[in-house]
Amino acid sequence: MTTHANIPTSRYFEDVQVGDVIPQLVKSPITHQQLVRYSGASGDFNPLHTDPRVGEAVGTGGIIAHGMLIMGFVGQMLSDYTGPLPLQKFGVRFKGMTHLEDVITCTGTITDKYEADGKGYIKGKVQAKDQTGDVKVAGTFVAALPYRNA
Amino acid sequence: MFDKSKIGQSFPPFTVRVERCKVYELALAIGDTNPIYHDLAAAQAAGYADVPLPPTFPTVLNFWGNTLMWQQLAETGIQIAQVLHGEEAYEYLAPIVANDVLTGVMSIVDGKSRPSMDIVTVETRYTNQRNESVLNVKTMFIVRE
Repeated sequence: MTTHANIPTSRYFEDVQVGDVIPQLVKSPITHQQLVRYSGASGDFNPLHTDPRVGEAVGTGGIIAHGMLIMGFVGQMLSDYTGPLPLQKFGVRFKGMTHLEDVITCTGTITDKYEADGKGYIKGKVQAKDQTGDVKVAGTFVAALPYRNA
Repeated sequence: MFDKSKIGQSFPPFTVRVERCKVYELALAIGDTNPIYHDLAAAQAAGYADVPLPPTFPTVLNFWGNTLMWQQLAETGIQIAQVLHGEEAYEYLAPIVANDVLTGVMSIVDGKSRPSMDIVTVETRYTNQRNESVLNVKTMFIVRE
């Protein structure tokens, strides 16, 4: 695994302990405009995400958000926590559909902390749920953090 | 039923430049207001060589970098209209910043049939303009019958 010396981070290895809770991120309600924006930004133009007629036709109960948008929310939480460059691995499983007006809350905890090859790593689990507690994505990440007194 | 002989098949390489405006556009769509994604001066002030990428930017590389993706997968016999996104996983191997020029190669790395569905995993490996491996993106699709 490659790690990066002297990269910008908002957190040092010494600052993180197993069991730490990552500050949660509560997003604004999902809007149709946001899904149109996300389609253009990402290049994923599947009409399930933008055309209500298609959503009705396939029985998803109207248009549904891109799973990748919800993963993007979780990514925002991780970016806020460590900065983008410390991330080494980030993966999720998509577990449920997200609809318009859903309010997504992202949460995470640190599950492991270890050193290898002179580098400090943290590992955590992350999740995104809607306002009813229904899980939309769940996953894990690994980040390499610099030492405070390197 | 997924044709297992397709496992290991690679598709033609594609090249994609990381554009600052696409980083900004993705951050805006996600609602991430961190100025490092929106402004070169803010990124440099924070210590980045150029605008860095949000963690899920690889999806932009996959879709906009390879606009033939769905067509290529359809040609292997996958029913694209029946596809659900099951899992997405990134391995970030080295920093990528705006203006890097990446080359991606997509391959089918796994495929199996289950009752009423196929599970197909594709991986896209990216190298940069210095031929350094920078990113692996693994996507698991569920293809309903």
